[in-house]
Amino acid sequence: MTTDGDSDLVLSGRLGLARLAERVIARTDGVTGTSGPAGRWQTVGAQQAIRGVLAVEDAQGRVDLELHLVVRWPPRMPLEQLGGRIREDLRRSAGTVGLRARLGAVSVAFDDVLSEIESV
Amino acid sequence: MSEAEKTARPSTLAAQVTTVTPSDDDEPLQDELGKTTIGEGVVTKVAGLAAREVEGVHDLGGGTARAVGSVTQKVGLGDAFNQGVSVESGAKEAAIDLTLVIDYGESIPRIADAVRSQVIKRVEFITGLRVIEVNITVNDLYFPGDDDLDEERRSGVR
Repeated sequence: MTTDGDSDLVLSGRLGLARLAERVIARTDGVTGTSGPAGRWQTVGAQQAIRGVLAVEDAQGRVDLELHLVVRWPPRMPLEQLGGRIREDLRRSAGTVGLRARLGAVSVAFDDVLSEIESV
Repeated sequence: MSEAEKTARPSTLAAQVTTVTPSDDDEPLQDELGKTTIGEGVVTKVAGLAAREVEGVHDLGGGTARAVGSVTQKVGLGDAFNQGVSVESGAKEAAIDLTLVIDYGESIPRIADAVRSQVIKRVEFITGLRVIEVNITVNDLYFPGDDDLDEERRSGVR
């Protein structure tokens, strides 16, 4: 995974970290996307809603992220390990765009597994 | 249950109690950077998909579940891969019940063993849970042509 592509993002705070999470999810091998019905877990910005990513900012400006994900069957690595990789990639990416200090806890929830038949 | 109560029990019973009810402060998927959670539906689906990987397994679920399932899936309410699978899971362990339809002519004991192994392998690797039991009920045998017969019945063709 590379984080070089994130340097073009002009990011600040809660929405920026949610967008960054969206990018990390999209480039993670084995993850097909985010889950949850519209509006259940999302971060709403001025122009778009980022589905499957919940970003909550506390009074000190620290942003906790909750990612709701769907993985492809069969997962090539244990989900705990995959969650750890996503968390690591997100922290590295946040550092690249100068948001490392703002990023709080990153919770990764695996909500579904998608079989090949369902993916078609 | 307190630590004192646990240690006061005979060792075998204490082991059972501590295994079946892991303590709340022992979250295996949590660290200071955040936690990873795996939905119970994921464990169910992994078990169902793993069972279907075994050759000779035609389908999962009882007759009624499959009939209802085919309707609910058509209207987007059901998940075919959860049908015939029941999972009870805690923070560290899972017990799985499966209802299978097996292809006619296959050895039921051989398929049951293969399903059990495959389900344990997949669930333990993917979710990190220890599978303490896989109970298998073979509910039906599938004969080639059964599906055609079902379709004919549904469409009223005799």
